[in-house]
Amino acid sequence: MPQYKIDKSRVIGPPIAPLPPAPSIYGVDPKYVKKRASELPNMVSIKISELFPDIPKPLWPPPNPKAIRDATEEALENVDMSPIKGARSVNILGSHHGFTILGGEPYAEMLKTIKDVIERKTGVTNIRLKVGVGLRHRESEEYIKRFKLDEYFNGKAYGISPLDPGVPIETEIGTFYGLRAAYDADKIVHAHNTDVREVHFHRHVDRAFKPFGMSYARLETRSAYHHNLGPRGANFVARAIFNSKFVQDKWAFSVFLRASPVGILGVYADNDLDRLDRRIIVDNLRYYGKVMRLLSKIDECIVVLDYRTPIPYTFSGGVIFANFTGLNIDLFDLDNPLPPYTWYTEAYYDEKDRPLIPEVPPVNPAIKVIVINYAWGGYPSVFWSKMFPVIVVTKEQADVYNRDPQNIEFMKHAVIAEDLETAMEFAYKIGKTDKVIVFDGVYGAINMSKSLAEYLVEKAPEVDEEVEKKLMPKWLKQRGIPPEEVLCK
Amino acid sequence: MAKTDYSKCVKCGLCWSICPTEAISWTPGEYPKIDPNTCMGCGACYERCPNYAITMERLPEPKIVRVDVSKVDFKKVEEICRNAGFHPEQIICFCTGTRAKEVAAAIILGAKTPEEISRMTGVRTGCKVECIQPILRLLRAVGIEPKPKPGRHAWYGICPTVFEIPKKVREKYRARGFYFDEDEMLLKKLTRGEAKV
Repeated sequence: MPQYKIDKSRVIGPPIAPLPPAPSIYGVDPKYVKKRASELPNMVSIKISELFPDIPKPLWPPPNPKAIRDATEEALENVDMSPIKGARSVNILGSHHGFTILGGEPYAEMLKTIKDVIERKTGVTNIRLKVGVGLRHRESEEYIKRFKLDEYFNGKAYGISPLDPGVPIETEIGTFYGLRAAYDADKIVHAHNTDVREVHFHRHVDRAFKPFGMSYARLETRSAYHHNLGPRGANFVARAIFNSKFVQDKWAFSVFLRASPVGILGVYADNDLDRLDRRIIVDNLRYYGKVMRLLSKIDECIVVLDYRTPIPYTFSGGVIFANFTGLNIDLFDLDNPLPPYTWYTEAYYDEKDRPLIPEVPPVNPAIKVIVINYAWGGYPSVFWSKMFPVIVVTKEQADVYNRDPQNIEFMKHAVIAEDLETAMEFAYKIGKTDKVIVFDGVYGAINMSKSLAEYLVEKAPEVDEEVEKKLMPKWLKQRGIPPEEVLCK
Repeated sequence: MAKTDYSKCVKCGLCWSICPTEAISWTPGEYPKIDPNTCMGCGACYERCPNYAITMERLPEPKIVRVDVSKVDFKKVEEICRNAGFHPEQIICFCTGTRAKEVAAAIILGAKTPEEISRMTGVRTGCKVECIQPILRLLRAVGIEPKPKPGRHAWYGICPTVFEIPKKVREKYRARGFYFDEDEMLLKKLTRGEAKV
């Protein structure tokens, strides 16, 4: 039986305004985004902390740089920085991804604070910031400029790309390639975040290690991750690289911005990445697990994408749209070999979009239509326009995909609407539902139609119980963590 | 396609070193030259030029590159794909939608390097990142192990696959959630699956 009751009047409120569009070479000029999905009629928001009261209160939102600075300082208090003392150079390694969370300011503040604490505790001043990217090779350069990190790091902040020169790294399974610029210092600090993000790729196995196989890695390594290791073994690329002597000789400690569906909960820092990973597993399976299982209960909906990231990385309640594409199965359950969306799965459709093997699960049937009000290019996304009806708002937004070498056929399978209202009118007709969910990067709440809010609120208590009693023990066991260690709620 | 602004170019040659189709020629001390016939508009040079000296211009008509798989012996195509551990129908480049069979056909028609394959099929001209391993594995399946040209870093080499992970490594990490044996079985099942032109 459900453990608690939901007070609808406290959970459902007015929609939350998302962050404004941001200028980028990967997105449409912000002037073309004239209306946001949260401004549509009949839109409300549901408060995640009211649905799942055990998720701690966040430090951000509301915006609070001092709280992030204090949390970073506090987390670093117990970190042994003696390996850095005497080093001629230190690279703080970051990832573009951190800047996609809540607009990037919390992550930028954490990075700045790490630099200050290292300087203070070790006396080392030659500290560089190296920020990796996904498939948008200038994205991190844009964040460095936006947050004035180059000035803060005395002209030593750089965006690094998998196309940049590499260095071979010998591991226990063979040679991979890292980015030379990531490892060109005596010591490195791994500065990431705990957001679950691409569960379909890493399956939350060694999540904390992933950037070693991705943001800090050359294109050969990243290709091996997505083609060579398999859908559940992919993230071993990262683990193998981290365990190598080459990386172990340089790595000093890790600092993670602690993300959750309600916002930033704090900062973790540790000299033991395994220990830090276990903390992340427990947090994420519980907090993101609940929101993801709640969203999996949606029976039908129109999805509106409305955030300053590529299509799969638009967020709703901390969950990226790529994960919602696959929420008809339990993505954390390692007994499921293939998520409905992952590159291993996408590869296994033939020319007529029929699965090559029966193990390929269908995409989330709850998604009836996708409306793209605002989302970037710079990620191969034709999978979505082939699998779902897609309406793109404005020809300028469509041009983002038409000029994108990663999306040469995206618009071949999508239609264009002149404005958001027209797109929604059409979506209601073909979707035959009034339930709408918005992926607009808002944390702490999820913008959606009133009809969907009322439907979902009823489901929260049973989801909470399902995750705590049934799913958490299984998920933890699959990852080698004895459930009795952590299930003390 | 890419175009160089010579007022910003410092002749560093970085664009030459990463171009996936070798459309850019360059010698030290000289300005790079872009061949419009082989440039696929991937934007690698545009996105990495340290001086923002490259712009992208839309062609009046789209360029289509493709290898017609029906022109080669499909049994050979299948053999190459399966020896490399791929289903012939499997997509290996998510940006261009290119399948393993088309790359195998390009190899049968004489392609011996990733650059030649890119010029014939268009692979590696979207994100420039994700499809290098399948290409190198398909080349290796016919005994070709290309070496990168000195000074270029468009690609380095082949990386391990699940098929080569030693038993002791599998056992060591299984409890953490790495299901190598099951994933290997899945990939092998896929490789064995039925295929047609």
